[in-house]
Amino acid sequence: MKLLVCVSKTPDTTTKISFTENDTNFNTQGVQFIMNPYDEWYALVRALELKEKLGSGTVTIINVGPADNDTVIRKGLAIGADDAVRIDANPTSSHFVAKQIAEYAKAQSYDIVFLGKETIDYNGAEVGSVMAEMLDAPFISFATHLEVNGNTATINREVEGGTEVLEVDTPFLISAAKGMAEQRIPNMRGIMMAKRKPLNVVPAVDSSDLVSVTKYELPSGKTDCKYVDPENMEELVSLLHNEAKVI
Amino acid sequence: MANKFISLKNLKFLLYDVHNVAQFTENYDYYKMHDLESFDFMLEAALQIAEKELYPFYQDMDRNHVPEVVDGKTNTHPQIAKFLKAYTESGWMSSHVPEKYGGMQLPGLVNLCAEMIFYAANNGACLFPGLTSGAARLIMAFGSDKLKKEYMEKMISGEWMGTMCLTEAGAGSSLSDMVTSAEETSEGVYKIEGQKIFISGGDNDFSENIVHLLLARIKGAPAGTKGISLFVVPKFRKNEAGELVDNDVIPAGAYHKMGQKAIPAMHLAFGDNNNCEGYLVGEANKGLKYMFKMMNGARIEVGVLGSAISSAAYYASLQYAKERTQGRDVNNKNPEEPQVPIIEHADVQRMLLLQKSITEGAMSLVLEAGRAHDLSHVLEGEEKKRASLFLDLLTPLVKVYPSEEGIRSVSNGLQIFGGYGYTEDFPLEQMARDMRITTLYEGTTGIQSMDLLGRKILMENGAAAKILFEKVTETIELANTHDELKKYAAILGNEMQELQGITMHLAGFAMKGELKRFLADANLFMEYFCIITVAWQWLKQGTIAKQKLLTANPSPEDVTFYESKIHTMKFFFHYEVPRGAGLKTRLMDTEMLTMCKDTAILT
Repeated sequence: MKLLVCVSKTPDTTTKISFTENDTNFNTQGVQFIMNPYDEWYALVRALELKEKLGSGTVTIINVGPADNDTVIRKGLAIGADDAVRIDANPTSSHFVAKQIAEYAKAQSYDIVFLGKETIDYNGAEVGSVMAEMLDAPFISFATHLEVNGNTATINREVEGGTEVLEVDTPFLISAAKGMAEQRIPNMRGIMMAKRKPLNVVPAVDSSDLVSVTKYELPSGKTDCKYVDPENMEELVSLLHNEAKVI
Repeated sequence: MANKFISLKNLKFLLYDVHNVAQFTENYDYYKMHDLESFDFMLEAALQIAEKELYPFYQDMDRNHVPEVVDGKTNTHPQIAKFLKAYTESGWMSSHVPEKYGGMQLPGLVNLCAEMIFYAANNGACLFPGLTSGAARLIMAFGSDKLKKEYMEKMISGEWMGTMCLTEAGAGSSLSDMVTSAEETSEGVYKIEGQKIFISGGDNDFSENIVHLLLARIKGAPAGTKGISLFVVPKFRKNEAGELVDNDVIPAGAYHKMGQKAIPAMHLAFGDNNNCEGYLVGEANKGLKYMFKMMNGARIEVGVLGSAISSAAYYASLQYAKERTQGRDVNNKNPEEPQVPIIEHADVQRMLLLQKSITEGAMSLVLEAGRAHDLSHVLEGEEKKRASLFLDLLTPLVKVYPSEEGIRSVSNGLQIFGGYGYTEDFPLEQMARDMRITTLYEGTTGIQSMDLLGRKILMENGAAAKILFEKVTETIELANTHDELKKYAAILGNEMQELQGITMHLAGFAMKGELKRFLADANLFMEYFCIITVAWQWLKQGTIAKQKLLTANPSPEDVTFYESKIHTMKFFFHYEVPRGAGLKTRLMDTEMLTMCKDTAILT
């Protein structure tokens, strides 16, 4: 079974966010980057588990980005992917990324294409569905469980108040949410072997962005905590009504 | 529990910028298989294991499942086995082992950084793999191929644990008085009889076997240290059919300790039923020399341990100081104004800076020793000897500074919590108890101090001390290229001259044969020597931070980090180095009050 896992590079969760170019661009100076946790912890690890269970197949990771994304890609190889592909382009939008990966995947006949349910930077959750349209294949989003039997997969999705169970035949795309797998910590041998695994760099295809960013805004800072005398309920109600506007 | 117990950013600064691990991967074939990107992954993986398998269980291991002997077996916290599985599978048990034995051949510098991460998360639990890898290395260095095959491989695979068995009830620091005996029954096989105490990890309920590296005296061997041999004594030995059978090693009891309760300190009885076999390691009567290879490694490990606990305490105190509001600025007495976080108070900042300066100074000192170790491994001839001599000099300092000053550091951290620090609601009381052992085991501070002054300073006509002075001079020259640092370079230069003067003064007693006078204040000499050596480490860090600020186009976060380094360096020079003045006064004093023949004075 040929498995493709799409991975993104995202800022570490502890990063302090700022913007440049009139608040239209994310300031990357001094930012510590990591592999998007949903891609790493759930999509990649479940793909590896499937390969291990089947005893055959390949797991390829793919990323759209410049050469300094290679560190994140190497981590995926250290965790256990067999090889990697980097499409050498600056990922300007979800549509652009979907187009690049779809064009590459078309020629490779993957059985399952994995993604994380979203990236933790722009939180678009769009690449999977756009790519599915381009590949003319089914897409199951926010999946929490995946079993494969022959060419048929059984997939659980968490829905409001319960679980939805779906069946789909390969090839298909799936975005993985918490519950799909458990994070793997790369071991030293994997880290050493990662340096010797193939990382193929391919050029980007032509694509245009359909949407442009006009402005980013940071959430307003936390306001000071106000202490109210427990005997003074009137003041509390007044503050909640007039200042916080929650009642 | 606090959110953070160690700073990966600080470790990487020390590893890459201050101690230049790239020097090894770029220049020496033995380490060329590695690169800095791999080290990043490895340290991040170590942090993930520590966060997942160690830190959440730190308090529980102190309070629940404290080891006790039950039905001849010593129970341990169930998480220990889970942690060891993750630790071994990730490759850390064999990280330092050469590739030819299935290891990763990692530079000691990187290994030490990983150990700091693990120990900071849960120091007691990490002693199991620390002792096991140390014992495995001892077999690797001096054991026969048969011992390597039968024991070392099982230990570096994490299946069997290891210990070192030195102390006896009547022979603690004085190993020459040990009485555990060994009698040869066939070539290389001995019948062992005796009792050992304070054996960390001496028994457990999770590993298939435990391999004790034990010192004993072969019957008829010379008295004193020249008659001590080293043996492998497994808890279970293999019979002719290759099955593991009982080897008459009985866990007589687990000590009820002040701290580090995750790992038992055992009283072990060997050969009570006349059926305990031991296997000679190397040559007879050379056991102490062999054991000191492990012991010296263990002393460095104690330095790691002290730095690591100090780190965990610092980050807990820092978080608390930012969150806890008490009082107001001394210029603001208005009770209507909200209280301020205690980190705004000068005395709290003093305590935090003290913690930080001790912790990061100690870490750098440990890594300086790691660098000397790695150099002694890859260099040849005179250069190798030079690196080894320098490591010999640093070893007692690494054993003492992070432990003695670590106690002070944790104590100040506890102080920041006020009364809460004395309760089980916060981790500082446990850290204070855990830290306390570090000045005791693997050679007390007193033993280390006599080793420094009586042996290391004088060896080879002061060659090791000369190397230190040369290295300090190099740092001073580099610091002098920055105006902001010149003042501190000058202070360190003056202190080095003072240190040489005091050393010559004390050595004069040795030359006159007044050995007791020579060593009477060795402990204070050690304290002074440590302050100066750590001041050197701080000047190194400050100089590199300054260079980074000027040349590396740092991000705002990096600017804060480097400025914090320079600020802490200044704190060390203004608050810690001046403590040396009192010590100098005492060391040059002619009045001797600790050499009373009539001990009744201590009534």
